[in-house]
Formats: sequence, C-alpha cells, structure tokens
Amino acid sequence: MTRSEQYGLGAAVLGHVALFALLSLAWSSAPTPPPTNKPIEVSLVDDVALDQHAPAAPEPPAQSAAPDPGPPEDAPPPEAEEVAPEPAPPKPAPIVPPKPAPPKPAPKPAPKPAPKPDAVPPPKPAPKPKPAPKKPAAEKSEEADKPAAKPAPAKAAPAKAAPAKSAASAKPAATAKANGTNPKATKAKPTGSLLDDDFRKGLTQSPSKAKASEAAPGATMDAKAAADIGSAIRRQVQPCADRQVNPGPGASRIVVTIRLSLNRDGSLAGRPTVADDHGGVDDENRRYVDTVDRNAIATFSGCAPLRGLPPELYDVPRGWKTFILRYKLPG
Amino acid sequence: MLNTDAATLSPIALFLQADLVVKTVMLGLLAASVWTWAVILGFFFRLGSTRRKIATFERDFWKAEDIDAFHRLHNESDLPIARVFTAGVAEWRRSTVGGQVDRGGTRERLATAMGAAVANEIDQLSDRLNILATVGSVAPFVGLFGTVWGIMRSFTGIAQAQNTSLAVVAPGIAEALFATAIGLFAAIPAVIAYNRFSHGINRIEARLNRFADGFHATLSRQLESEVRR
Repeated sequence: MTRSEQYGLGAAVLGHVALFALLSLAWSSAPTPPPTNKPIEVSLVDDVALDQHAPAAPEPPAQSAAPDPGPPEDAPPPEAEEVAPEPAPPKPAPIVPPKPAPPKPAPKPAPKPAPKPDAVPPPKPAPKPKPAPKKPAAEKSEEADKPAAKPAPAKAAPAKAAPAKSAASAKPAATAKANGTNPKATKAKPTGSLLDDDFRKGLTQSPSKAKASEAAPGATMDAKAAADIGSAIRRQVQPCADRQVNPGPGASRIVVTIRLSLNRDGSLAGRPTVADDHGGVDDENRRYVDTVDRNAIATFSGCAPLRGLPPELYDVPRGWKTFILRYKLPG
Repeated sequence: MLNTDAATLSPIALFLQADLVVKTVMLGLLAASVWTWAVILGFFFRLGSTRRKIATFERDFWKAEDIDAFHRLHNESDLPIARVFTAGVAEWRRSTVGGQVDRGGTRERLATAMGAAVANEIDQLSDRLNILATVGSVAPFVGLFGTVWGIMRSFTGIAQAQNTSLAVVAPGIAEALFATAIGLFAAIPAVIAYNRFSHGINRIEARLNRFADGFHATLSRQLESEVRR
C-alpha cells in the first residue's frame, strides 16, 4: 500500500463517518412530516347510552333531603308518644272530625240513616270535652296507656248513654280510631310538625350531600358519561386507527360493531370481539368485511391500555367493563 | 440524541433495526464503500502528480544535452517514465559493452525492454483499478440481496402478526431498502472513478509508449553513429 493510498484510506474513513453522522443527526433533528390521514370515525353504539336519560346526577341532593328527615323523626317519636297523651286532646280532635264525617260513620252506621245528621254535629263537641277531663284523670291514676285510653271513652260512653245510641256507636269508632291512629299518628306527627322538618332540612343539607357523594348514587352511565368515555377511547386509539390501511374501494363504508372487555386499569381483558352484523355492507365491499374486522380489532388492541376512564363508572350497570363501539375506516 | 424510531431515515437507526443478514450485507457494503473511496482518493492524487511529473520529465529529457548525465540525475526516481528511461539506458549499456554490436538485435532488445517497462509500470499503476471495477459491478447485487432478504423477513412478519397493515411491514422494507441504498452508494462512485481512471491510465500508457518510441528512435540513431565510428 503506497502512501497516497494510506492517505486516501484515512480520508475515506473520516468522510464516511462524517457523512453518516451528519445524516443521522440531520434526519433526527428534522423528522419526516407525519402523514396527514383523514381521522377515523369511531362512533358510539346507541344502545349504550340512550336508555338512561334520567339525570341521576343532579337529583341526589333532593333525594337525600327527603329520606333524611325520616331518621331524625324516628328517634323523637318515642318522646313524642310519651308527650302525646298530654297534647292528645288536640290530636284526636282534628283526626276524629274528618274521619267520621266523610267515610267511616257512613259505612258503619249505614243501616241507620237517620242518626247521621244527629251524630255528625254532636260528636264534635262530645269527644272534645270528654277525653280532656278523663285523660288527665286517668294519667293521675295510671300512665297514659292505650288500654287506659280505651276505658276512658268506655266510661264516657255510659255517661253519654242518655243522648243516643248513635253517639255511643260513634264513640267506640272514635276510640278505635284513636287507638288505630296511634301507628298513623307517627305519620301524622311530621305533618303536624312541618316547621321542624323544614328547619331540619336546612340544617341537614350539608351532611346529606356528603353522604350522597360517598355513596356515589350519581355514578350511573348516562348519555353524557358514555359520550365522554367514547371520546376518550377514540382519542387514544386514533394513532392506531391511522395506521390501518384501507383494503379497497368501498371498505370505508363498512361499520363494525366491536365489543371491548376491559380491566379496571384500562387494559383489555380479552381480545375485542366483533358482532356479526355489519353495517354498510354491499356487493362491492363484501369481501373486505374480514379485513375491516381485523383492522378494528388491531385498532383497539394496538393502543390497548386505555387511560383516563372514570373508575367509578367501571362496574356500574352499562359501565365500561364491557364497552361497545362502532368502528369505521377513515375515508 | 440519535433518533432510533422506526419512522426515521437515520442510517444508524435503520442499521440497528435490521436483521443479522442484512446487517452483515450493510457492513460489507460500507467497508467496500470505504475501500472504494480510499482507492479513488489514492488514484486521484497519484495519477495527477504522476501526469504532471511525467510532463516535466519528458520536457526536461528532450531539452537535455547529455543522456548519461540525465540518467545519473534520474537514476533513483520511481516515476514510470524514469523507469522506462532507465530500462532503455540499461539495455543500451548491456548491448554496447562489447566491441561487436549487433544493431538489429540491439534495436529489438531496446524495444522489448522499454515495452516491458511500460507494461510493468502500467500494471503497477492500474493495480487497484480492479477493486473499483468489482465494487462497481457487484455492490448493487449485494445490496439487492440484502433487500430481498429483508423483504422476505418482513413478509414472514406479516404472516406472524396476522395483520396486513402496512405499518407491520414498512419498517422492515425501509431497512431492507437501505441495503440497496448502501450498495448503490458504494457502486456509483466506483463505476464513475473506474471509467475516469482507466481513461487517465490509458493516457499515461500512451504517453509512456510515445516516450519509449522516441527514446528508442534516439538510441537507434546513436547506435548507428557509434557503430559507424
């Protein structure tokens, strides 16, 4: 090897190294422009979303306010029942007049048409004074028991025996109602204490909201949530969708319904399955159906771990544990 | 800092992603390219200086008064034309050393000796030219072999992936085509340089032959005058 050849070899090696380094660096600093593909159409299947339009999310405050006064009421009633015998006189008073008046005296004294007009006016004054003096008397002797309340009207009945049998028949009815309305009384009491309820609503609203959010009663799959999840999935599979190649003319008309089985972390629990019924299939593109199926499966399995899906909507009915989408080639 | 992504034209990335066979082909072609360029550069410098020195030598020779003095001056030179000149002078001295000189035989030996010297010098000059010829004709085929191999591998990749998407085969085809690119990269300069340098060597050979003929004519004239004397 002569000297000129040695110089030539050195220069050639240097030149090649310099050229390749230049090409590597120049091309890495200025990457090839990404191909401008038409965006893929991935649309949601309607039956995921349309069915539950009930806007459950805005409701919870109202729902939680309604049950809430219940439990607080349940606690006081024992107290109210104890106290009840004392204010009892006013309660039977409102209860008795309406009930005997329209329905109950009507069927019971039905065989006796005559006493009705008589019976209707007298009961009002009659029960009012009678329980009033007798119950305090009974309380003195005994506690305010229901059996105690029964003898009390029974005593009143003989005293009133003079006026009319109809009156006596009305009184047992009244007493029976008074006894029978004891369970009702618990229901009736809140109506009597409306002020308290309203007051408590205002007080208990903030705790009720906290309960609502903990229990997540609003985490149902409504149309908006489904659309959000669908768009999140579409955004993430777009790079894989762009890589799919249109196999031939008309193939972009084929609509594939694909079902994803997802794990909670967003990865695929299994290979996506494709429904047998395809949309937009005609004679021209029938032979591309299998290819488009494979494209759809490759699209969703290629970009598989789907991120950012709302975890509270995973396992709810119609949640994204299994999610159905429509897939269509771009173009 | 190097981008080794699949979607790049970076030669290093393409090389690193390639198959072993394709890598071997690429390395061989790269070595061929380096060697080709070494030969090209060596030829470029040597032929240029040789041509210039030959012109100077020839001009000086025809101006020279005393051939013996000129021979002493250029005895150790390794210029092709000086070697031809030395061969002629040596044959002349060997042929005229005795008293009896065969003029016809001496002319014939002078011509043969200087022709052999010219052929020897041209052989030495064009020694590396066959490398350029070989690389220029074979490198495209070697690169094509690498490409065919890489594309075959890409198609087996399609079969394994069960996916006809171009994204599966595109990187493999790109790296396979890179083998052909290197082959052409080595072959094109080799072919151009081969043609250029064979033309240059042909010119030098013609010049040496013309000088040998002229020197032979001079010696032949000298032979006649010396023998007559």
